Amino acid sequence: MAIKIILILAVLALLIFVLRSHGTNRGGAYVKIGMALFMVFAVYAVIRPDDVTWLAGQVGVGRGTDLLLYLLVVGIGFFAISTYLRFKEIELRYARLARAIALEQAARREENRPVSPDTASN
Amino acid sequence: MADQSDVWLIVPVYNEAPVIAEVMNHALQTFPNVVCVDDGSRDGSAGQIATTKAHLVQHPVNLGQGAAIQTGVEYARQQPGAAFFVNFDADGQHQVEDVTAMIERLRSEDIDIVVGTRFHGDISHIPKLKRLVLKTAVTLSPRGRRLKLTDSHNGLRAFNRTVAEEMDITSNGMGHAPEIIEMIDRNKWRVAEQPVNIVYTEYSMAKGQSLLNGVNILFDSAVRRKR
Repeated sequence: MAIKIILILAVLALLIFVLRSHGTNRGGAYVKIGMALFMVFAVYAVIRPDDVTWLAGQVGVGRGTDLLLYLLVVGIGFFAISTYLRFKEIELRYARLARAIALEQAARREENRPVSPDTASN
Repeated sequence: MADQSDVWLIVPVYNEAPVIAEVMNHALQTFPNVVCVDDGSRDGSAGQIATTKAHLVQHPVNLGQGAAIQTGVEYARQQPGAAFFVNFDADGQHQVEDVTAMIERLRSEDIDIVVGTRFHGDISHIPKLKRLVLKTAVTLSPRGRRLKLTDSHNGLRAFNRTVAEEMDITSNGMGHAPEIIEMIDRNKWRVAEQPVNIVYTEYSMAKGQSLLNGVNILFDSAVRRKR
């Protein structure tokens, strides 16, 4: 019985953590709804594992554990992709920031550069 | 020789200290305007560039070649009188004569961008594995085929102001070649190909793109399309 309580508490803690930390992403709201549904399902699965097995049977998966495993694989895949995209976006912003700094420094350096005959003619 | 003061060479530089000054000085004899974007080199490339007349823009951190090219484009298009822009390599594999020919075409023909191609005439100088990788890249690029580009990963490109204004490379790494092909297609830039010679020096071979990097490029292209 203790394991059920621990799992439910862990899932709740995770839910709160995800909801609070998953900042200002555009698609963030959908991710949160999906996560919430997944957590509710997880709690339900812990309380009534037989129902999950029944559900697994309905969708053609042997056991409830297998069903959970499959869902987990899908979840991780989704997570990997969204994280990858998020990283790409952050990388781009970071590049633009670095570029702005580089361009400003270069402009300042050019101002201070002694004017040679070649550059003066342009 | 024609006045080339409205042309800007954009040169991304990453750890090219042994060759950069020589390559730049050679290019500067024909093209007075060169901007080197030092992409966070740790080998004193910036110091080498400073010995030449090339302009220097320094990324505070390493961002990747695509990002360096974009920085160079943004720098060059701010310069008064800049009309034509060239992506040029720091390691000496691109030929100044090819650039001159490409600029000549931009001046005289109704085109916005000229892309270099290695697949014209004799291609025996291209290392076999490299040839295979490049051919595969071309075959896998439906846009490249539609635009009749035979060498979608050629880094030597020349383009006019329209293209420079609209250029916005978002792949920081090596994925910029397919991204530029995408931009050509999306923005309806008039594109032409120019046969060019790429000199595969030992130095550039050692630094060249590996087959594995091609996997990165493919993956990035696939993800970008979905967004």
